[in-house]
Amino acid sequence: MKFLLTLAALVAAVPASAAVRSGHATAEWVASSATYQASKPILTAIRLSVDPGWHAYWVNPGESGMKPGIEWTLPAGWTAGPVGWPVPIRFETGGLAGFGYVGEVLLPVTLTPPAGASGPVALEAKVTWLTCSDDACVPGEGALKLELKPGEPLATAFEPLLTKVSAALPKPVEGLALEVKDDGKKLSLTLRAPSGTDSAAFEVFPATPQVLDSAAPIRFVKAGEAWTASVPKSEYLEGTPESLELVLTGGGLPHPATVVWRK
Amino acid sequence: MKQFFASACVGIVSLAAAHAVEIGKPAPDFKAKNVKGETVSLSDYKGKIVVLEWNNFECPFVRKHYGSGNMQKLQETYTGKGVIWLTVNSSATGKQGNLGDTAADKVSKEGSKATSYLLDTDGAVGKAYGAKVTPHMFVINKDGNLIYDGAIDSMNTPKPEDISKSENYVAKAVDAALAGKPVANGKTQPYGCGVKY
Repeated sequence: MKFLLTLAALVAAVPASAAVRSGHATAEWVASSATYQASKPILTAIRLSVDPGWHAYWVNPGESGMKPGIEWTLPAGWTAGPVGWPVPIRFETGGLAGFGYVGEVLLPVTLTPPAGASGPVALEAKVTWLTCSDDACVPGEGALKLELKPGEPLATAFEPLLTKVSAALPKPVEGLALEVKDDGKKLSLTLRAPSGTDSAAFEVFPATPQVLDSAAPIRFVKAGEAWTASVPKSEYLEGTPESLELVLTGGGLPHPATVVWRK
Repeated sequence: MKQFFASACVGIVSLAAAHAVEIGKPAPDFKAKNVKGETVSLSDYKGKIVVLEWNNFECPFVRKHYGSGNMQKLQETYTGKGVIWLTVNSSATGKQGNLGDTAADKVSKEGSKATSYLLDTDGAVGKAYGAKVTPHMFVINKDGNLIYDGAIDSMNTPKPEDISKSENYVAKAVDAALAGKPVANGKTQPYGCGVKY
């Protein structure tokens, strides 16, 4: 019994990579489980803790900045799913509009072992980021190594936090649909939203870079059965956009939402 | 009070209108002192191809190109072909990148091969062009029209090892101007640290 408890303690002891401090943030790779089972997905996240007074950037960083980058080195057959981007905040860096994060942000990633996975494994994530304040920008980077062992699921201390963050990631909502029309200097957005929500109260973020002017507020007004917003184009948009993804929160939505329009 | 309000409004309007530069249109003339104390105007270089390079030696995205020698090499290559290369520093006094009293020394230490390094401490040139970040690059053709406004190259990273993997947009635009050919992609989103006006 004592041996089993010790083994369990050993296995539970490494649910995260070592923390790497670089630039004005500390990065860590944390996992919901220290053990894996073949073919069963494991929820993990890159945790970025940004120094007070500085911010890191979203998938669409805005007028300046740089989105975090992750390069995976995984054992044969292992896959890493797309990185999840929690709802950002808007800020200005020396007058340039941007989107990103302050304090602590967790970027969820699902890892899936192959059917024949066996033995202890080491996974590596090379993460790069940019932290800026009004006065300066400092990049950061870290090679994060996560070690997992095969075994029965063993929840780590990070599991509740990862589940919570993952649940709060923007996801599609039934009844939410977006249309985009080219209106010359502006884009005309038409939104259909499910009953019980108030589109005028949505906080809206453009997830697709270089389509909408980052500094422009996006506010929907009622137009019959739908809602419309007229937003200036990004000065870097060439011609008409191919697609536009919006992240929406508030206004009675069941959870943060994502809605995509494609040409 | 009324006069203050009116001039404050003008201030806001002129900032918004600052991005008055447009690809295919004449590049606005400007006047600034370089690190040698000489007054330099864009109109001094009528009939020449001119590159404007917004600079802040403390910005990691600028260091990417100076630490590697990439920017100096571009300056040398193109000035050798008769192109005028003007580096512009719009950092306000006391803000990051401002070179203070020893500007000439610092610029020389960086191995700059630019035609001139301009001190735009009051930000007038930066605002006239809508310079947003460092490095932000502009290319003006022999007719005085703006043919490129944007990033130095295609990869928004601070890593010198990415330079050889990137497409250099400035070289592409200047080469096109030298050959009398049009520039395919005149406007791109520049990357870097915000200009410290």
